[in-house]
Amino acid sequence: MPASRPSSDQILHRLSSSEYEIKLKAIREVKNQIIGNRTKKLSYIKLGVVPAVADALAEANADSDNGANLIVQSTAVIGSFACGVDEGVRAVLDAGAFPHLIRLLSVADEKVVDAAARSLRMIYQSKLAPKFEFNKEENMDFLLSLLRSENENLTGLGAGIVIHSCETRDEQNILCHAGSLEKLVGGLDGSMSQRDASLESIATILKNNPGAVSKFVELQNGRALRSVIELTRDRFSRTRLLACLCLICIKNSSSCFLQDIAIKTKLIYILLELLDDSGQVGEEASFAFSSLVAGKEDLQKLAFEANAIDKFYNHLQNPELNSKRLEGIFLALGDLCSKLECCRSRFMSLQVLNLLINALTHDEANVRTAACICLKTVSRSIKNLSAGYFMNERIVIPLVRLLSDLCTSVQVAALGAISNIVVDFTPNKSTIIQCGGIKELVHLTKSMDSSLRLNAVWSLRNMIFLADKMCKEAIFMELTASSVATLICDPEPSVQEQALALVRNFVDGCMDCVEFAFAENGIILDAVGRQLKKSPRIEIIIQGMYAVSNIASGNEFHKEAIMQMIFPQAESGPQSFLSQYLQSNDSRLRTSAAWIIVNLTAPASPGAFGRIAKLRNFGLVAQIKRMASDPCMDVKLRARVALGQIISFGDS
Amino acid sequence: MSLFWIVVRQLAEIEAMAASKKVIPREVWERKLNNVKIRKEDMNKLVMNFLVTEGFVEAAEKFCKESGTEPDIDLATITDRMAVKKAVQSGNVEDAIEKVNDLNPEILDTNPQLFFHLQQQRLIELIRNGKVEEALEFAQEELAPRGEENQSFLEELERTVALLAFEDISNCPVGELLDISQRLKTASEVNAAILTSQSHEKDPKLPSLLKMLIWAQNQLAEKASFPRINDITTAALEDPV
Repeated sequence: MPASRPSSDQILHRLSSSEYEIKLKAIREVKNQIIGNRTKKLSYIKLGVVPAVADALAEANADSDNGANLIVQSTAVIGSFACGVDEGVRAVLDAGAFPHLIRLLSVADEKVVDAAARSLRMIYQSKLAPKFEFNKEENMDFLLSLLRSENENLTGLGAGIVIHSCETRDEQNILCHAGSLEKLVGGLDGSMSQRDASLESIATILKNNPGAVSKFVELQNGRALRSVIELTRDRFSRTRLLACLCLICIKNSSSCFLQDIAIKTKLIYILLELLDDSGQVGEEASFAFSSLVAGKEDLQKLAFEANAIDKFYNHLQNPELNSKRLEGIFLALGDLCSKLECCRSRFMSLQVLNLLINALTHDEANVRTAACICLKTVSRSIKNLSAGYFMNERIVIPLVRLLSDLCTSVQVAALGAISNIVVDFTPNKSTIIQCGGIKELVHLTKSMDSSLRLNAVWSLRNMIFLADKMCKEAIFMELTASSVATLICDPEPSVQEQALALVRNFVDGCMDCVEFAFAENGIILDAVGRQLKKSPRIEIIIQGMYAVSNIASGNEFHKEAIMQMIFPQAESGPQSFLSQYLQSNDSRLRTSAAWIIVNLTAPASPGAFGRIAKLRNFGLVAQIKRMASDPCMDVKLRARVALGQIISFGDS
Repeated sequence: MSLFWIVVRQLAEIEAMAASKKVIPREVWERKLNNVKIRKEDMNKLVMNFLVTEGFVEAAEKFCKESGTEPDIDLATITDRMAVKKAVQSGNVEDAIEKVNDLNPEILDTNPQLFFHLQQQRLIELIRNGKVEEALEFAQEELAPRGEENQSFLEELERTVALLAFEDISNCPVGELLDISQRLKTASEVNAAILTSQSHEKDPKLPSLLKMLIWAQNQLAEKASFPRINDITTAALEDPV
């Protein structure tokens, strides 16, 4: 029986022996020990076997029979170390074996070439493999020579390099212009492994690249595309999946390709069927499904009609699903429910929600994230929100717990879900308050990570939408006016926008609520005013304008504070931001500005007359008059209301 | 007979006619079959495919010479594949593993299930030969780590180790693992994996064609009565009963 645990005594010594037989036997022994055996690989790596084998490889002479034997065996050892074990790839690269393997690709002995190509292919399957620089001409020549080769191991290596290293659009274009698509298409008629390698590398070149896609669909008068479509019916499930992925890349690059409803339906059915595969193909099928339906209502509809939700639900009922599968299925369900109410209601009626709740506490972060993303889209439903399906302890407690998850992506996804479920159209948000949700959310608004700040503010903004005064007060106390002011001036523009929207919701509703803007000596109001005067972004300004408009609907004191903000100096001075926004090209901005005028000139308040006089002095009344015939209905309506109020005080 | 009864009788006759199947006489059937053309080269390819897939390398060489049919695979690889198969069938699993690794080091590195089954077979052979201590050590060192990686491997490992607990193997509930059929099962799994790695189908085409023949006959038999082939080894047409 061979020693089951490698011992340093002999093996390193024998590997560096000067006697051919001893050395060859030692290398073969290592090979047969490590192939298929992760534990052995790790312990041999620790022992320092990789550099010893790499030395043997470097020293061997490919022209002699003995040397060739040593090379074939040591190359196999190196390939196996690199297979499936990152530590192995690192050790192989550190030992300097890589350039030797490349060199061996051009020797005469075919066995040596095969062995070297196989090992390099293993290395290129790892992220740790060195990046292949496509922009060097000699590199492209080398790659094309691989793709052109008759030898399956060499074409396989070429495809592996493309799959590993082609990431940017520039790289895709270089490959495209050099004619690599034509070469790869040749492999579609080849053996199973050639077909798979070709499909995967074609997909890599086409992904998100409309130019490359146009070139591909016209290749050989569309014959290349037809071959790929044909391969979606292949006998091997992996080939079917890769062919689907290729078609998805084509479909996603531009809406003008693969418009045919038959093909869209076919893709959906094939991917749903591939879910039944018990291996990796089944895992990847749901991710492919996601990218097929994401953001596309027509495909979501077709998938709904193909009973996709039932199908995913059936899979979820298997208690032994691994984490990758769970993640993929929840992401797919999330995309499926992102637009259509029929999908969401099927989701609810099958009670998939129960399984989703379990997934919120899964051990794997990716599963927790996927479950939150799915919950976010399912709760994008006024019907489900109004029915109160989400605002209960079974969901809220685990969600709030995820706000302090160690993994940022889980926190962001949980915030996304919370953002939606707090819009429950009932003023009572006690469930989330009781389980400490507000403390967590406020805590996250102070995070160093801007995506966490953004989503936390967003959640709070939604939570106080139509909330009662008690709820707003609870949140305001926790958040404090100075923090709100800080968020309005956050370095991240998207956070600024949400913070202004938060203020807008705070001061919306009853008169008391307007007071929030005046806490701590009006620190919030000052911050809003600063953004309105300096921000170049329209989305930010619109939120700020509505915050101002809501404040201007308050009492006399509130209205005067807004007047002060609009006209800080004496009677004349630089043009105010209000006047500037009344003339904006963006109708949304004009609407918000007109709203401010409406609220400032409301005839029921005693100071309206004085404010109108001031507006007139600054030329704003004249502007409003011109807006009474604005092309935008909304603007026209608000301008006419304002004008009516102004005229009621006498048009002088 | 009253008119009523005449009508009833006529109706019954019509019904019987509808239910009876169409009868196809032998000469008509043979004429129809004669009209189907099968190319000689296609037949030869099917035979070659059978010889190659099943591993009859010498027969394949002879057949290639005599019929001029080129095999779709390098015949030398068949010899290697058969050597692996034979090694498993005769219980030399370690030898088989080395041979597979010489043939293509990727096969066992990328197929954990096959690798586990080969290691399991090694364990079974150790137990069969009464090497209890060695078996235990092997299970611990080689197989237990695979069980940690995969739940179903762990269950299979537990089943295999249970063999050690029984003095009298004939009474052991997992005794079938020691059966020769277990070796054949493992051998055919290795055979299939090697064929797949060579981009070759793992099953010959001939059995599928015969399966299709039997299925098609059964389908037709529901609608018609015709001379059918019941014994596929003679392919004789038998008249319907």
